[in-house]
Amino acid sequence: MAELVGVYAASHGPMIVRNWNILAPAERENLTAAFSELGRRIKAARPDALIVISPDHWVNFFIDNLPAICVGVGEAHDGPPEPWFKEFPHRKMAGHPPLAEHVVRTALERDFEPSISYQLALDHGFCIPLWKTGLEPLPAIVPVIFNDLEPPFPSVKRCFAWGAMLAEAVASYPGKLRVGVLATGGLSHSIGEPDMGRIDEAFDRDCIRRFENGDAPALFDFLNERLPGAGNGASEVRNWVAAHGAARGRGFELIRYDPIPNVYVGCGFASWKLG
Amino acid sequence: MRDYWLSKLFFDLQSPPLADEYRADRNAVLARYPLKPAVRAAVEADDVAALSRLVNPYLLRFYFLMAGMPEEDFLRRIRSSGAPASRSTARG
Repeated sequence: MAELVGVYAASHGPMIVRNWNILAPAERENLTAAFSELGRRIKAARPDALIVISPDHWVNFFIDNLPAICVGVGEAHDGPPEPWFKEFPHRKMAGHPPLAEHVVRTALERDFEPSISYQLALDHGFCIPLWKTGLEPLPAIVPVIFNDLEPPFPSVKRCFAWGAMLAEAVASYPGKLRVGVLATGGLSHSIGEPDMGRIDEAFDRDCIRRFENGDAPALFDFLNERLPGAGNGASEVRNWVAAHGAARGRGFELIRYDPIPNVYVGCGFASWKLG
Repeated sequence: MRDYWLSKLFFDLQSPPLADEYRADRNAVLARYPLKPAVRAAVEADDVAALSRLVNPYLLRFYFLMAGMPEEDFLRRIRSSGAPASRSTARG
């Protein structure tokens, strides 16, 4: 049987890469410290495979065919196509088809209907955390793309259930495998909207407190009320909710939170309690 | 509601060769997309506010970066484009 060895979350704002050289020294130091600590925790858990939950920023999907949730079942995934992210060291990343297919089968048995893809490019949402955490060699990656970008979105309750289903899939996988779950995105930010650049620090800190105490229904109520006012990018907190579900709502330990105006994002990093 | 062909134009411009062509000869690329006259006029006028009502905000942000609008200029225009979109449409 496979074992769930860690559940994590990290922000992924593109400006972390594009604006790196113009960030204030303290901003760079804080981000470096956060990613380093997250990387240390992931490496200590020694995952063979990492299920990474991230949105697709118009790289794989368009409004002619836009899955709510898609699982990447391919043997390999392409690296990020963004022209400004050529520093990323991998043009190809290994997938884990047996685990990915098991996730899809488990999903269907539990009345979820994911889309599947044999050929995905993993954009900055996946690759900034994978790169900045220094995970080398990379574990095999099972991408799970949540539509956090183009409304309407999956409900937060459903995202939690998805995460719980992922944990069931790991537990029932018929092979010896150490598996981690990494959710990326959030916390508050606004992109291409009239409040672009606004970071809702009050929302972020309230949100973090609710993830810390682990009360899932209270978290759902909070997010249903407050997500719409925290910027369109805050929708990516759905991925964190899925991670919360994978960790059975046990609550997380915040690694670091910094609202970083030059990144436009309230940057949060966390790992869940599994014991 | 999205404008499909405007969205398709912005989506396709993520291809660096097409973006190069667009920056060199915008009209040649626009001619290949069946944009409504008012939408095409908004593109030609770099009308951030009008276009923001027709496409996903991430594609809007990408488009003006690709087209070479300075960040400060884009921020000024999007911030003065009106009230945030309604809860039921564009927000998260």
